Amino acid sequence: MSNLKPETPNLQSKKPMPVTRWDRLLGTRRNAVYLGACAVVLVVLLILPHMSLSGFVLTSLTTALLLAVRAQAWNFIGGYTGYAAFGNVAFYGLGAYGTAILMTKLHWPFFLAMLVGGLVATVYAVIVGLPVLRMRGQYFAIATLGVAEATRELVSSPQLSRLTAGPTGINLPFFRPAGLSGAAAAEAGSIFFYYVAMGLVVLVVLATWWLTRSKLGYSLVAIREDEDAAKMLGINTTWAKVAAFALSAFFTGLVGGHYAYWRTFILPEEVFNVRYTLEGILSAVLGGPGTILGPVVGGGIYDAVSTFLTFSKPFGIDLGQFHVTILGVFIVMVIVFLPRGVADFFGRRKLSWGMFLENVRQNRV
Amino acid sequence: MSEVILATVSVSKHFGGLAAVDRVDMTLHRGEVLGVIGPNGAGKTTFVNVITNLLPITSGQVYYKGKEITSWPAHLIARLGVARTFQVVKPFKRMTVRENATVGAMYGAGGRGRSAAQAIRKAEEVLEFVGLGDQMDKQADQLTLAGLKRLELAKALAMEPELLCLDEVMAGLNLRETEAAMDLVREINRRGVTLLIIEHVMKAIVGVCQRVMVLHYGQKLAEGTPQEVLNHPLVIEAYLGQKFARRQAMGKA
Repeated sequence: MSNLKPETPNLQSKKPMPVTRWDRLLGTRRNAVYLGACAVVLVVLLILPHMSLSGFVLTSLTTALLLAVRAQAWNFIGGYTGYAAFGNVAFYGLGAYGTAILMTKLHWPFFLAMLVGGLVATVYAVIVGLPVLRMRGQYFAIATLGVAEATRELVSSPQLSRLTAGPTGINLPFFRPAGLSGAAAAEAGSIFFYYVAMGLVVLVVLATWWLTRSKLGYSLVAIREDEDAAKMLGINTTWAKVAAFALSAFFTGLVGGHYAYWRTFILPEEVFNVRYTLEGILSAVLGGPGTILGPVVGGGIYDAVSTFLTFSKPFGIDLGQFHVTILGVFIVMVIVFLPRGVADFFGRRKLSWGMFLENVRQNRV
Repeated sequence: MSEVILATVSVSKHFGGLAAVDRVDMTLHRGEVLGVIGPNGAGKTTFVNVITNLLPITSGQVYYKGKEITSWPAHLIARLGVARTFQVVKPFKRMTVRENATVGAMYGAGGRGRSAAQAIRKAEEVLEFVGLGDQMDKQADQLTLAGLKRLELAKALAMEPELLCLDEVMAGLNLRETEAAMDLVREINRRGVTLLIIEHVMKAIVGVCQRVMVLHYGQKLAEGTPQEVLNHPLVIEAYLGQKFARRQAMGKA
């Protein structure tokens, strides 16, 4: 057969490639590359705490991992379902408070307390979600923002102080590995919280991967693309949206629980700070909302840039005071040139300046 | 005559003071093809929106296979076996063509107990049937208008409906595409699906429908076979104006 134009693939005559066992396991070759990269990153992350890093580096890494989980958790409702939730800090705070109260008042073990803390946030998401998820667009965003503020007020109110200690905050027990004390105990603690955070990242990525293959995942993307059409195809949109919101709340709550035990002291102003919501959203947008790995990568990038700007002094200039300004400019640049986040780099044949310009044109900036 | 699959009793929909649909009675029998025609703004699409409860009904009742479904949640009506397409196509743009149809196969009348993998297989089968078999991996926003209309049809058919409401699936298609769409609609009906067709393309109405209902200012103006309805003086008047109707009546006399 003559092959005059080898560079144009002929889709009609493309024969299916023979399927081997590895193909079935790894999907396409590109998936295999991604899986390989993930495995390498995972091994590096597993080894890192044993490279005798300073406490500062380990703390920064743990913070980055927690941000990655929050970004991916927001991705369920914001990225896949297309509902701009601006109140995820409510779930973070409830997770933190749930864990703290269970550990101090009932002396529950940490993991159980964290799990139940996450479930408290989940139940709260279902109760709040049923009315709030009836709104769309900016109305939904503002409603969730309001709910988060109201939740903070509720937790810090004197009427609930016997449970939440009101505005004075809660002290949690220290992490004490058996037979260790002093500096050795502190180091073991850093490593412990690092690995728990890493476990949460793995868990949330696996949950996302499962979601993209499930019927629920299909219905969420359908709702994002056109909610009326989704309804007409038989999707119970109310239920699906609440499920996405609850999933988002669960993982955000787990991170809150981790944070509470890690920091050993929580205040309403601290764990209900709107900063946590914004960081999660920005990381997800940075990495690529509605993708399996984008928000996790975005969380890493955001935290790296933020930490660099806060603590480094390039050419002797202290960037610390301009930290937020530069971060803001950086985020605006990303949204203008890469509206689909870092994920925009993938799935393209070649990278060029034209790609950036095309993005700018398409979004009419 | 066969079982009544859909019946509306005095269905109305008001937007403020305007009656977009005004006390419309309609029965549709299993296996039938009913055309709904009328000038722009006659309330045809609103009628379908009210039946499927995309818009809340103002008054009246809707019965599906003898069971009242008035004001049922839209997704439950869909799962009962009522599917529809949209006049302004509503593809899930950032999904592939295959994924678009898969959603229908997952959640429609045939979706219960079907796994994601089974739904994908069903979707592929339907896409082959409507002629999108070679474009399944395309992103939906890369289809032509004719392709998007076929995709609307595929999403609805993947639900395995018993009643399918087609809202102007032929508008904007060229002659050849219209012919192909008509063949497709006939084949869908031959497979046992009852059809309610809103259409402006008269050729399609005459070629496909057994019975036609005319809406005008939200009210039922006439009903009958395509030939009866198209020669009805009130229908001619509604479409072409009073003067023309009078002149034509005089010419005939």
